[in-house]
Amino acid sequence: MIALALIAAVLCYVGAAALAAAPFVRPVAAPVRTVVALLATGVIAHLAGLVRLSLDLGQLPLFGLGPALTSAAFLLAASLLAVEVMAHEVTLTLVAAPFAGVLTLLASLVGFAPVDEPQGMRGAWLVAHVALSFAGIAAFGTAAAAGTMYLVQRHELRSRRFGPVFRLFPPLATLDRVNHLASVVAWVGLTVGVVLAASYAVVYRIVEGPKIVWAITAWLCVSVVTFGRLLAGWQARRAALLTSVTFAAVLVLYLAMRAVGAEPGKFL
Amino acid sequence: VTADESRASLVVLGVSFHTAPLDVREKLVYAQHEVADAVGELLDATGAREGVLLSTCNRSEVYLVEREPSTTQAVWSAWSARLGQDASAIGYVHRGSDAARHLFRVASGLDSMVVGEAQIQGQVREAWESCRASSGAVLHRLFQSALLVAGRVRSETRVTRGAASVSSAAVQLAKQIFGSLADRRAMVLGAGETADLALECLVAEGVRASVVASRTFERAKTLAAKHGARAMQYDEAWTTLADVDLLLCSTSSPVPIVTPSRIRDVAHARGDRPLCVLDIAVPRDVDPVVREIDNVFLYDLDDLQAVVQSSLERRRNEVPAAERLLDAEVARYGDWLASLSVVPTLTAFRARMDDIRQRELAQALRRLGPLSPAQHAAVEQLSRALMNKFMHDPTVRLRAAAAEGDGLDVVAAARYLFALGDMDVATVAPTPHEEIASAGRTIDSGDE
Repeated sequence: MIALALIAAVLCYVGAAALAAAPFVRPVAAPVRTVVALLATGVIAHLAGLVRLSLDLGQLPLFGLGPALTSAAFLLAASLLAVEVMAHEVTLTLVAAPFAGVLTLLASLVGFAPVDEPQGMRGAWLVAHVALSFAGIAAFGTAAAAGTMYLVQRHELRSRRFGPVFRLFPPLATLDRVNHLASVVAWVGLTVGVVLAASYAVVYRIVEGPKIVWAITAWLCVSVVTFGRLLAGWQARRAALLTSVTFAAVLVLYLAMRAVGAEPGKFL
Repeated sequence: VTADESRASLVVLGVSFHTAPLDVREKLVYAQHEVADAVGELLDATGAREGVLLSTCNRSEVYLVEREPSTTQAVWSAWSARLGQDASAIGYVHRGSDAARHLFRVASGLDSMVVGEAQIQGQVREAWESCRASSGAVLHRLFQSALLVAGRVRSETRVTRGAASVSSAAVQLAKQIFGSLADRRAMVLGAGETADLALECLVAEGVRASVVASRTFERAKTLAAKHGARAMQYDEAWTTLADVDLLLCSTSSPVPIVTPSRIRDVAHARGDRPLCVLDIAVPRDVDPVVREIDNVFLYDLDDLQAVVQSSLERRRNEVPAAERLLDAEVARYGDWLASLSVVPTLTAFRARMDDIRQRELAQALRRLGPLSPAQHAAVEQLSRALMNKFMHDPTVRLRAAAAEGDGLDVVAAARYLFALGDMDVATVAPTPHEEIASAGRTIDSGDE
């Protein structure tokens, strides 16, 4: 049932991205309602899979590589859905939905082996940390998607190419606003997540180096983007470039750390 | 419905930019207040039952429901007198479904000089409203359908999307940068007619014209007053450039007056905020090197033309999809016309059946001999009831066939089977809704 639900979710994400891309290949308007409906169906299927997985594991699907990746993908898709419903704009699907689909597929390939995690108050503490951190990473991913699209649209506008990207991508100001809001949400989520993790580590005297390095790096990247915007007045190209580059760096760092020394079956 | 009416048909005669140059077309343009009288005169001259005159700068067309196919000569004569030359040589005529399709294409902007332009839909509506007194059921339905299909073309295809003029291209470019233009601030260099037109387009989108600068201060003051902006000399304007989002340049300067050094300073002061520079002057007012400056989006007249060309190309690609919508609506209108042909057939059918009933009743009464009034009434009632029962199914089926679009064939068959005489059903008279309804009521009441 879990596999079916996740496959259905991946198909919906890919389908939504394909529909959102339709105006690039033939002269039709993007079917906004259908894209949003398909994305919502994917999110519901994904949620159903996660609920079933939670019941099977006896804990929230946040611990272990497979459950963590698929939860992150779910949060990314859900935040994408929220942005699109609010903005009546589906071009962000082109970048974020396939990314959510790939993460879900990877999670399925890795598998959902249970990992022993603490119960009770200690367990709730850990759950809050992981959930908020993933929400922060998902928002960071959304900001990066908007930033990447900003850079592409800006390039088209400056090179005076008035093709499909010019017509179908949202205006620069819209992409900049999405980037800004998502960055702030990402900073709040990651900050609370990191504080919870730090206090947990101190109270229970648990230190896991790779997780600390990765979490601090991600938090620093988001902080630079967010405070650059809020305090230094960075916006537009500078903010878009910084968000895209730092998110890519966080992803590369994660992959590198996993390749170097993460235990099999664990997130890091 | 009379036999005379049953031979009327739809026809459109016109002269447009496809067939005549402007100096000819302008002689056929009717002002709004002249239209009703003009169409009245054309109806008198042609003997047509209904008429609507559509007159714009690109076309003058008269839509008529004619009794006999001889109205064209009268229209050409009237227009030739107005033109001082033979109008039929530069005009066109469409009849029946071709006439309906022509109006649908016109209203949808498919026949316009700029494909998909929106203004024509309003002009078609105005023409119809101006000629309400001279139009009846056929033209009312035709124009309603035309406006309906024009709305569908507008919403279901992209034939009207994208910029079709330099001004709208400027708006589209600015919108791709800023999203909504509401409350964005604009500075205009130059105070000529081109600047005025372009600024009007931007102001219509919500842009606040904050500064108008011109070498001729008086002209700057006039344009600034029109758009609620401040007038300035050039030297003063540069100091406020950092506060605006849009710079519109349209001076007659022979050399660029917006140089990279000026814009570099402005861009530095603006930080990361983008600046959109629209240079619609020839020769250009802005040094092309300005384009290299970060966060500056510079577009000249060639760029705006490229946006327009790209839009028009996409509009043209959408025409087949729009034509498919038109096909369906033309067929629907044809079916409606065909459904009207049922009315005279049903009337003739009922008259024939009643004639037979009366003759047979008279013979039967003669054979029966003297009857009491009650007996006489009972026999007469029996004959009526039998006739109505026999007529019921054919009547219902004829009307259903007409409603489903099979009216013409079934009417022809019915007329043959019941020996109702020939009628040219292809050019059958269109009849107002009231006539259809009253015919329907007559037949329905006969069933009792």
